[in-house]
Amino acid sequence: MPPFAGSQPVGLSKPDSNIVSIDVGGQVFQTTKQTLTSAGPKSFFSRIAESSGIYTPFIDRDPELFSLLLSLLRTGNLPSKAKAFDLHDLIIESKFYGIETLLINSLSSPSQLEPFNLQKSLLLPLNGRDSPSALAATTCGALHVAHGSKITSFDWSLRRKATVLTYFTAVDSLLALSPALVAAGANDFSGLQILDLGSGRVRETLNWENVTKSGSTVQAIGASPENMFVSFESSRRNSNSIMVYDLHTLAPVTEIGHNEIFGADIDSAIPATKLQWIESCNLLMASGSHSGPSGVSGNIRLWDVRSGSVVWEISEKVDCFADVAVCDGLSAIFKVGVNSGEASYVDLRNLNEESAWVCLGDKRKAMNNNGKKEGFGCKIETQGNQVFCTKGGDVELWSEVLMGSGNSGRIFKKNLMGRMRDMGGAKITNLAFGGSTMFLTRKDQQCVEVWQSSSKEF
Amino acid sequence: MEEESTSAESNTANERIRLNVGGKHFETTLSTLRSGGPDSLLYALSNRPSADPNPVFIDRDPEVFSVLLSLLRTAHLPSTARRFSRQELADEALFYGIDAHLRAATAPPPFLGIDAALATSIRPASEGLPSSFAASDSGAVWIAHGGQISGYDSSLIHAGTVRTHLDEIDSICRVWPEIAAVGSKSDAGLHFYNFSGSRHIGSVQWTDPLDPRIFKARVSAITASENSVFASFDCPHRENCILEVDKSNLRIVNEFARQSGNQAKNMVPAKLTWIPATGVLVGSAVAGGAFGFSGYVRLWDPRFGEVVWETNEPGGSGRSSRFGDSFTDVEADVEGLLLFKLCSKSGDLAMADMRFLKDDPWIYLKEKNPSLVSCGEVSNSVVHCYRGQVFVARDGELEVWSRVEERASVGVKSENECDAEGFYRRNFVDKREDSERGIIKKIEGGGDRLFVSREDVEGIEVWESSPSAVAISVL
Repeated sequence: MPPFAGSQPVGLSKPDSNIVSIDVGGQVFQTTKQTLTSAGPKSFFSRIAESSGIYTPFIDRDPELFSLLLSLLRTGNLPSKAKAFDLHDLIIESKFYGIETLLINSLSSPSQLEPFNLQKSLLLPLNGRDSPSALAATTCGALHVAHGSKITSFDWSLRRKATVLTYFTAVDSLLALSPALVAAGANDFSGLQILDLGSGRVRETLNWENVTKSGSTVQAIGASPENMFVSFESSRRNSNSIMVYDLHTLAPVTEIGHNEIFGADIDSAIPATKLQWIESCNLLMASGSHSGPSGVSGNIRLWDVRSGSVVWEISEKVDCFADVAVCDGLSAIFKVGVNSGEASYVDLRNLNEESAWVCLGDKRKAMNNNGKKEGFGCKIETQGNQVFCTKGGDVELWSEVLMGSGNSGRIFKKNLMGRMRDMGGAKITNLAFGGSTMFLTRKDQQCVEVWQSSSKEF
Repeated sequence: MEEESTSAESNTANERIRLNVGGKHFETTLSTLRSGGPDSLLYALSNRPSADPNPVFIDRDPEVFSVLLSLLRTAHLPSTARRFSRQELADEALFYGIDAHLRAATAPPPFLGIDAALATSIRPASEGLPSSFAASDSGAVWIAHGGQISGYDSSLIHAGTVRTHLDEIDSICRVWPEIAAVGSKSDAGLHFYNFSGSRHIGSVQWTDPLDPRIFKARVSAITASENSVFASFDCPHRENCILEVDKSNLRIVNEFARQSGNQAKNMVPAKLTWIPATGVLVGSAVAGGAFGFSGYVRLWDPRFGEVVWETNEPGGSGRSSRFGDSFTDVEADVEGLLLFKLCSKSGDLAMADMRFLKDDPWIYLKEKNPSLVSCGEVSNSVVHCYRGQVFVARDGELEVWSRVEERASVGVKSENECDAEGFYRRNFVDKREDSERGIIKKIEGGGDRLFVSREDVEGIEVWESSPSAVAISVL
């Protein structure tokens, strides 16, 4: 379709005028060149702004939808009357005009996450009978859900979905590389697969060449803006390593933390099961734990990827973590203890040999190792300046209370998220953040829960 | 010169046109109006002299028109279309001559068993227990129920009902777009009904001038090829055969596969499938009894009336490597040239390549999903192949075996060529609550839909895979 056609001379407007008239489907709109060029230098609108003059360009599209998108261009936000329209229509229209990113930014960007205002708002049902095993969300709020051997992807508006079948019987780690590309790995299947969700094909399979020449299973995937980190373990479970790949070419860059197990050195046998990039320090957090006869033990290491050395390390003997997450905004590492089920933190700003966990909850529970596993399966995730920690079927939100000068210690306080009726659901198995949304899945439920802030309801 | 003429043409195509539909003004380009195709009313309107300053007046509803104009502009149906019923939109699109556009925009996406959900259920108004049904490639379906045939078009709108002279229709087959072939287990002969005229147009009976016992033969299975209809006939004394009927004049052209019917391995085929690629007819029959299941699969070449390949279970030639685990249902994948059988004891699915049929061609598909392992013995099972996927119903549960897409990089070849069974993954299509509705009697795919009928349940279920995520609000 031609962008604009059959121009008509308009007597009044002067060629050098800043005002641009556009005829959309028979309705004339007037705006300024600045507004049009805010869509981007090479977009459809800036071409109209350049070519405008004595002719009023005619665009053969729906005028009502255009008026909404023009408001979006003017203010960066959709007008409230847009609620009468279906978002899918707006997406199609914004794709035609090439301003979908503006629409995404106005509706679903991480900066709009309002942690204290999140409420359970939607359920995304998954077809079939498999419960979700892994979640991955992109920054714009698109979501990939692995359930059984399938991966279902939802677009950022959560209105379109597509499902592909994978080689895995169950996907245990999932990372979104782009809206159409995911990295998937499993604990029982060799190799990391880069799946193109558009065609449903495997673009590439990355394997770790280990000494025993056995398969390499994926324990964790992480990513920095440049690199992808994959924690591999050999199928015979006697060696493990963290491979660093270039995020764009997927070529191997380096290998860090390679462990070969000889004898009974349990500590080195633990592969990393969580990898998280710490942007502010340029370090990679790798954590792994192991359940043995004497309880759960594990370690958390901070790696300098370039030199391949461990910068800081903590060994977990008493109340080992169930899950660890680094909060860049708060400059702290948070964990939830497997025995106590309580959250603790270590300040990232002054790490040294003596750094120890500061328990945020009941300190006595963390101290006495009574063999209870209250924190088993708990998840901890950070987003912005907040820490989200799951406990059974509930989500706790930990936030720092900023006090005036004179206070030495840091104060963290927790809140239970959700309304009364949302409390005490089935155990939460996965937690992910994308755009301004929190996604979570629960045990034996074939759907994804979507938590959004009420003001962002479209 | 040529260039000039095309540019001149594109100029006129970009020309703007004003329309007045029921008092509301619309403005669009000629190219948009003409995208409806040369036969459409809008195309005809676009050929008016452009010098006329008055807009073209169309005395129709402007709101429906705005939906259809959006459809022409964007090739998507806007959400405002939800204000109108499917019927209204279809009628209006027909008026403007853009019904093909509407169908393309409203058609369900390619059917994927791994991502299918119950879309709707169609229930005939009276005597709604379906005895059989036939789906077409366009997604339309004919349901036989209580001696009637109800037709539903590709948007599942009731198109009409034909009352036949039969009391119960047990097999139905689409012969021509408007003509159905029906057979009954309680009444003799194969009958043809014209749907548009709603009348009986012909019958075929199996007779043999040399054998007076061939009398009142009933039809147990029907299938159609490009030029012929094949129907298996069964006499009261169980002698049976397959008749080939010319589609154009509805006359018998061939009789083959005559069998005495005194044993399980020569009873009447209860399922017939025509394989156009190889020109063979696949027939199968299964009898279940106190000592398990027994039956056969036979491939006939109708030109010579000969059996090309056969297998009998239990025993017989083409013996299965799994003794005592005979099949309960067999289905041919017409496009993939594969045969699938479902084992009665183990519940396993086995596959055979029809191009390389030999003594024991069955490859048993591996169950890789630990949460789904071995479902064991079920009394009712149905297998159906559609678009390269194998749907298996065990009692009320519906599952799909689908192939994993092969790798994009062709360089890496599988070391083991016979590793085909590893590429199939088993998944449930339905939810647990779906399976409690009743035992699945028949599955048939057509036009990106899967139709399922259940025992003692009125109407048939329609499963579709939808690209729109139906988010449920819990606020």
